[in-house]
Amino acid sequence: MRRLHRVIAAVLIGLAGLVGMAPAQADELPTFTLTFKPDGTFEPARLEVPAGRFKIELINESNEPVEFESIPLRKEKVLGPGVKSFVVITISRPGEYPFFDDFHQNVKGTLVVKPKE
Amino acid sequence: MEQVLFIVWRESVEALLVVGILYTWLRSTPEGARGLKYLWGGVAAGLALAVALALVLLGVSSWLSDEGQEWFQAIMSLAACALVVQMVVWMKKHGRTLKGELESGARSSVASDNWWGLFVLVAIAVAREGSETVVFLYGTVSAGEGGGDMAKLALAGLAGFAVALLTFWLLQLGGKLITWRRFFRVTEILLLLLAGSLLVGGLDHLISLDVLPTIIDPVWDSSWLLSDSTGVGKILADFAGYRALPALISVLLWVAYWIVVWALLRWVGNKAARAPLAARSAS
Repeated sequence: MRRLHRVIAAVLIGLAGLVGMAPAQADELPTFTLTFKPDGTFEPARLEVPAGRFKIELINESNEPVEFESIPLRKEKVLGPGVKSFVVITISRPGEYPFFDDFHQNVKGTLVVKPKE
Repeated sequence: MEQVLFIVWRESVEALLVVGILYTWLRSTPEGARGLKYLWGGVAAGLALAVALALVLLGVSSWLSDEGQEWFQAIMSLAACALVVQMVVWMKKHGRTLKGELESGARSSVASDNWWGLFVLVAIAVAREGSETVVFLYGTVSAGEGGGDMAKLALAGLAGFAVALLTFWLLQLGGKLITWRRFFRVTEILLLLLAGSLLVGGLDHLISLDVLPTIIDPVWDSSWLLSDSTGVGKILADFAGYRALPALISVLLWVAYWIVVWALLRWVGNKAARAPLAARSAS
């Protein structure tokens, strides 16, 4: 039990650190949209972005929860039905990065990172 | 989901170890049989306590921002990693003497007819494992608010518990074939690998939050050899923290983790091996 108290304490400390550092970034970033369709597919399935820092807006148009997940992109984000959210990603290395919906695992998407001009 | 199954299985087996040893012992003596209802009462109280902790933890997600959730996931992953290591170390220290200690503890409870001691012992054992399960599940599933997700999670959890009961039964049956010690040896390694993957997962969140420098990102690209997103690579990613495109900081901290764990276990192992000798020479 003492250990769990410690966990909760650590969480609260972490939360306390959040206040004040929330907005700051995320303006003026190149922004792209990724939609989760009701049939469990992505729109678009291939998303092209420039290398660097960018933002992907996630829109869940289905009536099920979805999870945008990618190990190479270091992101996992759960969206309830009809929920909009976003992720901010930084990648300097051009290439193709797979992502998928963790709740509909057979549907795959690819993030194509183009070299910066 | 395999991760959920494994965790629930493992935590249940641990709680069952405590409950099972006490149960076997209580059943073996007539006066002990009276304590059985305290035993099951302790199990129920422990479960209720674990669920209460779960509700507190789940409530946290609904009022967190995006960045807050990222922090929360990072902290939960790292906390879970620390819990696993702590648990493995604890087992290394006590695994050898656990049965004897439990029995002598229960015997003194019987002697003073203090069944509430037994009740509390079991409740703590179950709540400890239960709350650990909750922390893990939370780290794994994070802000899952939808029905499909919860159903899948519950199913994996139930499956894990069913397999745990089966494992416990098998272990009771074939004590010679798989000893508890060997069982712990194997699961110890699995758990440490899992803790390593929780560490890497937590670090990924910290990198996303820009609080941890990547140093070199990525250090290498092994995705042509083994992708971390499908098949075996995905399993390795979930269970051992494999990354096809790791940041240098993750690699360094992962190596540091294994060095620390190795040193810690060696130290505890030596101490545990020496303790019985010291006790014998003292008497």
